[in-house]
Amino acid sequence: MPAGPVRLRPPAHRLDRRALLRWYVGEAGIVVLGVAIVLIAVWLVPDRFVPPWLPWLLIGLDVVQALVVPPWRYRVHRWEVTDEAVYTQTGWWTRERRLAPLSRVQTVDVDQGVLDRALGLAEVRVTTASAAGALRIPYLALPAAEQLAAELTRAARASGGDGT
Amino acid sequence: MTQEPTPEPTPEDAEQPWERLDPRMLLVHPFRQLGPLLPLLVPVVVAGRALSGPFNAPWELLGLLVVAGTGVWSYLTTEYRLGPERVELRRGLLARRVLTAPLDRVRTVDLSSTLVHRLLGLASVRIGTGTSADGSGLELDGLRTARAEALRRSLLERAALARAEADGPDNGDAEPTADLQADLSTEPSPALPADRPPTTVLRLDPRWARYAPLSMAGLALSGVVVGGGSQVVVPVLQALGINPRPEWLPHTWSGAVALTVLLLLVVLVAVPVLAALGYLATSWGLVLTREAGPRGDVWRLRRGLLTTRETTLDAARVSGVVLSAPVGLRAVGAGRLEAMTTGLDREDRGTLELVPPAPAAVLRTTGAAVLDDPDPLDRLDAGLARHGAAATRRRWRRTLTPLLVVAPVALVVPLLLPHATPGVLLDGLRLGVPVACAVLLLPAAWLARSRARALGHALTERHLVARQGSLVQRTHVLDLDHVIGWTWRDSWFQRRAGLVSLDATTAGGPQRVTVLDVPEDVAVALALRAQPGLLEPFTQVTGPEEGRGANAPVR
Repeated sequence: MPAGPVRLRPPAHRLDRRALLRWYVGEAGIVVLGVAIVLIAVWLVPDRFVPPWLPWLLIGLDVVQALVVPPWRYRVHRWEVTDEAVYTQTGWWTRERRLAPLSRVQTVDVDQGVLDRALGLAEVRVTTASAAGALRIPYLALPAAEQLAAELTRAARASGGDGT
Repeated sequence: MTQEPTPEPTPEDAEQPWERLDPRMLLVHPFRQLGPLLPLLVPVVVAGRALSGPFNAPWELLGLLVVAGTGVWSYLTTEYRLGPERVELRRGLLARRVLTAPLDRVRTVDLSSTLVHRLLGLASVRIGTGTSADGSGLELDGLRTARAEALRRSLLERAALARAEADGPDNGDAEPTADLQADLSTEPSPALPADRPPTTVLRLDPRWARYAPLSMAGLALSGVVVGGGSQVVVPVLQALGINPRPEWLPHTWSGAVALTVLLLLVVLVAVPVLAALGYLATSWGLVLTREAGPRGDVWRLRRGLLTTRETTLDAARVSGVVLSAPVGLRAVGAGRLEAMTTGLDREDRGTLELVPPAPAAVLRTTGAAVLDDPDPLDRLDAGLARHGAAATRRRWRRTLTPLLVVAPVALVVPLLLPHATPGVLLDGLRLGVPVACAVLLLPAAWLARSRARALGHALTERHLVARQGSLVQRTHVLDLDHVIGWTWRDSWFQRRAGLVSLDATTAGGPQRVTVLDVPEDVAVALALRAQPGLLEPFTQVTGPEEGRGANAPVR
């Protein structure tokens, strides 16, 4: 065992570059929604309870988040698959690094939403027998995702076990 | 996962006659139908009296007739039969359903009986198969108690036989727990149940009922009783035509205070008594035994005064235990013990209470027996690794920050609203909130200290131990063979403090066991030692010693 403090290294691969675009589109939707909520709230709440700068502050925060979060997400999200295990890193404010041995993998799904379809992206989702969350590799190019899912399924079957 | 089709009945199976359940079930049935409806029925009957239905007919009796009729119908149309290879339960006449449990798949046979069952000498037999292909078994409700006991014995014996025949020495049946069974069972092969007498691990001492009022459930119960009761009393009195404010109620201040004190005293006496009675009703005669089952050893838990319940659990399916001690129980050195269980079925994964509130020493011995290893629980005294200063600071910050933020905000917000009308609301915000925060500071400090002290973890040869929490302190002990993945979670704040929360995910119980706020290298080392080989490719040596990597011995 090495002498220094041992840490996890980040997984090897990044997501497809279009993931960044996909997240920007998603955040844009959230900004539109957020602005609508702020405007409606301003309209409903009596003026004397609302300092004039407050709506602008909220809208500003909304926009800043929409600009900052996608690149942040893209920097955090990474994945790696070996003969033994799947290793993913997701999140932005809270980072989650998950590791599951292939022998414990139950299902491998490829997931595609409407927006993902338009951009030719797909998410690979690996579940184990625990309900504490799946390992997600969001936003690979569809062919890459399908190929990865096929490989994972084959490898999981080869490593045996039924996942419990 | 393969889904085997249930085999067609063999001729021998088909020859067996269909039998009906015990006719006394006709008496049980109305109780069961009406029991859950009682809270509804009372207002219906009361309202019925008040409104007097059309033609003054006793409509309530008609309802009873309907209930009795459905009871007779279900009795006449429910039949079961016991073949050499399978148990079948047939239901319904128009829409017929046949439930089948192949004997070689039978894992558990549990008896239970409600109060009504027991008055009539009946018991319900639940046959669990633990596969999702055909539900999770079937229930014969009910049979004479003696018949049920005999059925249980013979089913288990036959299940063991059928299984031995079906399996041969090893026909590659992907029984997931086979290797675990080999570890846990003291016998080399799953033998007939009659071979070994059951070992009794725990018998309930009725004196433990004194702990009942201190458990969270006890407190919650009293809250429900007091809160719910006071909500219901006045409307019910009014509905019954009784004046809820009669003349004899005191109308002076001193009288009201005296009445309140009296009521409080009644509650203070009544609630603990009720909680203790509830404890005895559910746990009376609790016995936990370990015995041979059709598929390796099983745990059998029997309990209950009015309703007796029996639960059987494959020893191989127990993935660990949870020791939980709400603050009240902890103060008197007591707690509860649950088993974490894994299953192929979603619904039979979870936790099962093995020991209701009881002294810590009892929990230790029972826990050690269930884990088959005294080491993990022995660590609880001094052997847990602490999480360090950063984790302690984080507990304090997380507990106190809400108070320290809310108070100034409450002070500042009114200044930002120059046009807000002065009034009670504004005064409450400006004065009441900061004062409340200040008052809460002391309890919060106690809470933070106790949360920080609770943090600890250990890795024994076969188990991961993790402790956290204060209002309810939980210690999870998870069998490493049942760990199916690892998650390291850190928020921005945690990263800044160099901490990470490590989850060991599992198919049973709470789905994951969390080691809260440990330094990252500790979390990595923990997983490295727990499952050697899995993690190595994904680690790296960092920090000041990084340069020494070149000198490290080549593996």
